[in-house]
Amino acid sequence: MQGQDTLGIDQSPVSRVKERYRLQPSTKLSLQAYAFLLPSFLGLLVFSLIPIIAVAVISFFSWSLIGQPTFVGLKNYATMFSSSSFWHSLLLTFYYVLLNIPMQTVFALLLALLLNQKIPGRGIFRTIFVVPWMATAVAMGIVWQWIFDPQYGTLNTFLGVLHITGPAWLSSPGWALPAIAAVNIWQYTGYNMLFFLAGLQGIPPDFYEATSLDGATPIQQFFTITLPLLSPTMFFVLVTDVIGSAQVFDTVYAMTKGGPGDATSVLNFNIFRQAFEFFHAGYASALSMVLFAILLIITLLQVLFFRSRAIYDLS
Amino acid sequence: MTSVSTELVSSKAVEAEKEAKARFWRRVPGYVVAYIVLGLGAVISLFPYFLALVTSLKAPDQVFSSSSWSLPNPLTFQNYIDVVVKYNFLSFIWHSLLYAGLLTIGQLIFSTLAAYAFARMEFPGREQIFMLYLATLMVPAIVTLIPLFIILRTFGLVNTWFGLVLPYVLGTPFGIFLMRQFFLTIPKDLENAARIDGASTMQIMFQVILPLSRPIMATLAIITFVQAWNTFLWPLIITDSTSLRVLTVGIAAFQSNFGTQWNLMMAATFIALGPLLLLFFLFQKHIVRSIHMSGFK
Repeated sequence: MQGQDTLGIDQSPVSRVKERYRLQPSTKLSLQAYAFLLPSFLGLLVFSLIPIIAVAVISFFSWSLIGQPTFVGLKNYATMFSSSSFWHSLLLTFYYVLLNIPMQTVFALLLALLLNQKIPGRGIFRTIFVVPWMATAVAMGIVWQWIFDPQYGTLNTFLGVLHITGPAWLSSPGWALPAIAAVNIWQYTGYNMLFFLAGLQGIPPDFYEATSLDGATPIQQFFTITLPLLSPTMFFVLVTDVIGSAQVFDTVYAMTKGGPGDATSVLNFNIFRQAFEFFHAGYASALSMVLFAILLIITLLQVLFFRSRAIYDLS
Repeated sequence: MTSVSTELVSSKAVEAEKEAKARFWRRVPGYVVAYIVLGLGAVISLFPYFLALVTSLKAPDQVFSSSSWSLPNPLTFQNYIDVVVKYNFLSFIWHSLLYAGLLTIGQLIFSTLAAYAFARMEFPGREQIFMLYLATLMVPAIVTLIPLFIILRTFGLVNTWFGLVLPYVLGTPFGIFLMRQFFLTIPKDLENAARIDGASTMQIMFQVILPLSRPIMATLAIITFVQAWNTFLWPLIITDSTSLRVLTVGIAAFQSNFGTQWNLMMAATFIALGPLLLLFFLFQKHIVRSIHMSGFK
């Protein structure tokens, strides 16, 4: 990968020495490389790197997006930590992540284990399970709103057949967030299943044969072979799911707009409203910094947890 | 002699067949359970699409008079005609196509160029710059949203096509990463041979590298198109007129006006969901591969 590959035509030592003292043609190649990089690097700089720094700076200002920002030091953070709506949205975000992750992971693993068997039609099932992942979240949120409709929706009609009176779902403060989580689980279970399936296919069959000769039951095999060997996949799936579900926005916007009351006003939705409805740019930036910090800490904790447990390469 | 051996073989074959049959029957209960779970999963996966489609083809009075999953009777396309003609969805569809198309073209050009530089060219700072690209992948989108809006407003680009497209049209770290990983797998001898023949870097790009990269570029194109088509938050913030409104924002706005007219709402949502469903079944191999490649390094 290093060195003269791009020019490595000459083999003789003499010409190699000569090349060293010639005006380096690699300078020209470097310039060409920078030219190739320039458009995307400009994009990265202006639309990604500068905004990352800017959001930290803005979080120390009070700014209504119009007029002059005023420096307020740590006031935004102080306001935030003493604001009950901040703590509420933070708790809701954690609750939402907790509603999502265990079910999504268990369902995904279960489907992957089933599809890892050599059963006819598994290709078709695999395809079907991935379909929800592509759904336009805003549009799908509205379809689910129709499913959750208390009077005419599919879910309560179905529950009625079983003689159960379903709750009002999206207009019930207790059920609204779990209902949104259900949509998220619906959308991402198949996607996660693909990763587990790839992970399962990477486990050498000999491991199972050896232990089944020793009389291990399939359940023992699952806990002693499958699960430990899946830990890199598990790590990837958990990290991306926690990060993804902590940033839920589209489904909340489409299904409840943070309501009823503030029952589904998760952190990301709170940031959006603070910035673009109430025009508290500084305060919203401080909220963003907190979200960023939390996600970073959670990711680090997950890395440490899997480091301490996994015997296998985490790359 | 021969008859004995064939007899032996055939009796062995019969036994093997018997055993295979027995093994099959022993597995049947497991199969049944597996298919019930898989079938349930498949129904749940597809049901919302089915529901949107059947509701969108119903007349308004049927929506509340029969169960939500019943088939449309009579079947009507009036909801689609209303949504597209009366409520301006034709222009939203066009804006979404244009937005997703521009982002896809930009991604293909600029990510490919940058990825080639990272994979195959020598320059000072290469690894450090690449790490910088990867690091930005970890930053949640909402974090950069407010400054991004402010930067574009400073340039007077709010509510313009430039403002809508510019932040994402110059290639993304994900696209660059995906293409770079692929370029690294192309044997260097191919390029060296072309170089000996006097080909320039540009010629090598177009005549050697790109023809080999068609499948990965198709994958990147599909994934970029789908993501752009589904994007909601950015167009919501940077545009506020119907002359730039994309489908996702159009649907959300439509919902605040016609929230309980489910026949119209479902026609509107299916206009967004349907094309992706079609795209998925046409290109499922590319899509599944792109998921794998985005997950594993």
